Amino acid sequence: MLKIAKDKLPELLKAWAINAAVFVPQEKGGTRVFQPWDGQPSLTLDGGNTLEPPKDLFFPRTETMYRYEVQGKEAGVTEIPTFDGKMVLVGVRSCDARSFLIMDDVFLTKGYVDEFYRRRRENTRVVALACTQNAPTCFCTSFGIDPGRAEGVDVQMWPVADGYLLEPITAAGRELLDQAGELLTATDTAPPPAAVPGLVVDVTGVTEKLQGMFEHPYWTAVSRKCLGCGACTYLCPTCHCFDIQGENRGNSGYKFRCWDSCMFSEYTRMAGGHNPRPSKKERLRNRFLHKLQYFPERYGKFACVGCGRCLDRCPVNVDITRVIREVKEVAL
Amino acid sequence: MAEAPVNPLVPMTGRIIKIVEETPDVKTFHVTTEQGKPFTPLPGQLAMLSLLDVGEAMFSITSQGPEHLELAIKRVGMLTDALHEAEEGQMVGIRGPYGNGFPVEDLKGKDILFIGGGIGLAPVRSLINYCIEHREDYGHLWIIYGARSPADLCFKDDLFNNWPRVENCRVDVTVDKGDATWQGHEGFVPAFVEELKPDPAGKVAVTCGPPIMIKFVLQSLEKLGYKDDQIITTLEMRMKCGIGKCGRCNLGSKYVCLDGPVFTLAQLKQLPNEY
Repeated sequence: MLKIAKDKLPELLKAWAINAAVFVPQEKGGTRVFQPWDGQPSLTLDGGNTLEPPKDLFFPRTETMYRYEVQGKEAGVTEIPTFDGKMVLVGVRSCDARSFLIMDDVFLTKGYVDEFYRRRRENTRVVALACTQNAPTCFCTSFGIDPGRAEGVDVQMWPVADGYLLEPITAAGRELLDQAGELLTATDTAPPPAAVPGLVVDVTGVTEKLQGMFEHPYWTAVSRKCLGCGACTYLCPTCHCFDIQGENRGNSGYKFRCWDSCMFSEYTRMAGGHNPRPSKKERLRNRFLHKLQYFPERYGKFACVGCGRCLDRCPVNVDITRVIREVKEVAL
Repeated sequence: MAEAPVNPLVPMTGRIIKIVEETPDVKTFHVTTEQGKPFTPLPGQLAMLSLLDVGEAMFSITSQGPEHLELAIKRVGMLTDALHEAEEGQMVGIRGPYGNGFPVEDLKGKDILFIGGGIGLAPVRSLINYCIEHREDYGHLWIIYGARSPADLCFKDDLFNNWPRVENCRVDVTVDKGDATWQGHEGFVPAFVEELKPDPAGKVAVTCGPPIMIKFVLQSLEKLGYKDDQIITTLEMRMKCGIGKCGRCNLGSKYVCLDGPVFTLAQLKQLPNEY
C-alpha cells in the first residue's frame, strides 16, 4: 500500500496535469461538481459525493458531432476532430465508477461503438475514492456496490487522518503512481472501513415482478405527484438518452447531440403527432422500468447505482427505493 | 459502394438524382453518392436521411437499384416539407442501414400475403421487389393494398403495371372512397381482406400502414385463422441515433432501430404496447 500526505496531494495532481486534464470534485456556485483542477494548493476531497455525476466528462451535455455547409444544391459534411486529450478523474466514488461500466455497455456494445464516447473513455484514467462518510440518500450496497472499493478503476484511494492511501489496480494506474516520484511512501496502514449506507432496499426479484406490472394501476398512483421536471434523469449517472439537433447560420451550421429526458412530453412525440407515451404515467413508468427491468433484460445489470441523487433532489420526493419496496408489495 | 464514415453518427453526403411524385403528399426520392450506392440494405431496413440545414429523420427504404436507394416520403412535418420542396440534384446526408429487415431467409419457400395501406406500402415494397428479384425462392405473392382515394395510391406503376405481370403474383387494390374515374373496389383494407379470404395455409402475412389500419387488419387476419407467428409488421418509432444509444425508440428492452423495425405479431405481443 502507498500513501501520500494530504498537503502533498496537489503536487501529485500537478504531476498528472502535465499530460492530462485533471478533474476533481470542487465547489462551484455552492455545489460540488467535478471540474478541472485549478491548481489550488489546499485541495480537499472530503465532503461526500458531487451533486452532479461525472458522466458529462465522457458524455458531455452538448457535443458537436459534425459541421456542414449547404450552398444551393451542394452540401458538404466535415467531421469534427475526435477528442484526443487525456483526462484523469480523481475522487470518483464507487457508485459513479459502476455507472461508467453501465454507460460502457450502452455506448460500446450491441453492434455499434459510439466514437465520441469511446475516445473520451479510453483516454481517461479513473482514480476512485472510498467513502468514509455517506449521505442519508445513499444506497449503493443495495446494488452490490462496495463503497470502500470501486470497480473498473485504475487507482483506488482511501482517506486517512493525515493523507490518502493509494493502491494501483491497472497497469495504467501503476503508471500514474509512478509519476508521483517521492511523493508516495510505502505503508502498512490498513484501509479504513467503508461507510456503509443506512438506506437499504432489497432488489431481489424486482425485475421479475415488474415484468408483470406494465398495466398495473400503481403507475398512475406514483406518477400523480411527478412534475415531469427531468431533474432525476439529468442528475442520474446512468441516464444516457440524447437528442440530435442542428444549429444553422446562413449556409453553414453544425449538428450536436444534447442530453434529453424520457420525462419530457416531446421525447417520444412523432412527426405526425402520435405519442406513445402521452402522459406522466407512461413516462415515469418508462423511467423506472428502464432502470429496473429493461436494462437488466438487455444488459444483465440494473441501471441504478444507488447514488441517491434522484431522490435527494426530486422536488416532490419521488423515491426509487420506495418504488422498489412498493413494487415488491403490490398485488398482481 | 461508398465508404461509410468510421463514426456511425456522421452521415455521408449523397444526392437526390430522381424524384417521383407518387401522390399529392408522397414523393419517392432516389439517392446515391459520388462513390455509388450509399450502402446495400436488406429489405425492410432503414436509413437516416437529412437535409443538413433542416433536420434528419429515419425512413424506410422502399427499394434499391444497383446504384441508388429509394425512399418514399410522406409530407408530415418540417423536414418532409422541405424534402418535398427539394429538386433533383439536391445533396442530402444519409446514414445507415439500420434495423433488422424482413426475415428473407425464413420466408423462403412460403406464400406471402402483403397488406399495405397508404404510405405503409413503402417498407413492404422493398420486400415485394426482393421476392420478385429472387422469384424462384418464394411461393405465391399476393398484394392487397388500399389508400384513402384513387389520388392517394402510391406506386401506381407497380400496382397496375409491374407487379400484376409477375408470374404467380396477384394484386388487389381498394380505395376508401372512389371518384368518377375509379372502376375498382371501394372499402377499407381490413374488410377487403375479409372479402378476399386469403387462406392462411403455408402463408405469411406482411402488413404495414396507419396504426388504425394495422389494428383492424390484425383482427381480420385472426378471423381468417392466421396465427401470431404468421404475421409480420414493421413499426415506426421516433428514432434519433439509429444505433441503439439515444434511448427513445425502446419497446421494453428492445430498440426499434436495432431489434426492429420488423417484428412478428408473436414478438410484439411479448413487448409493452407502447407503439
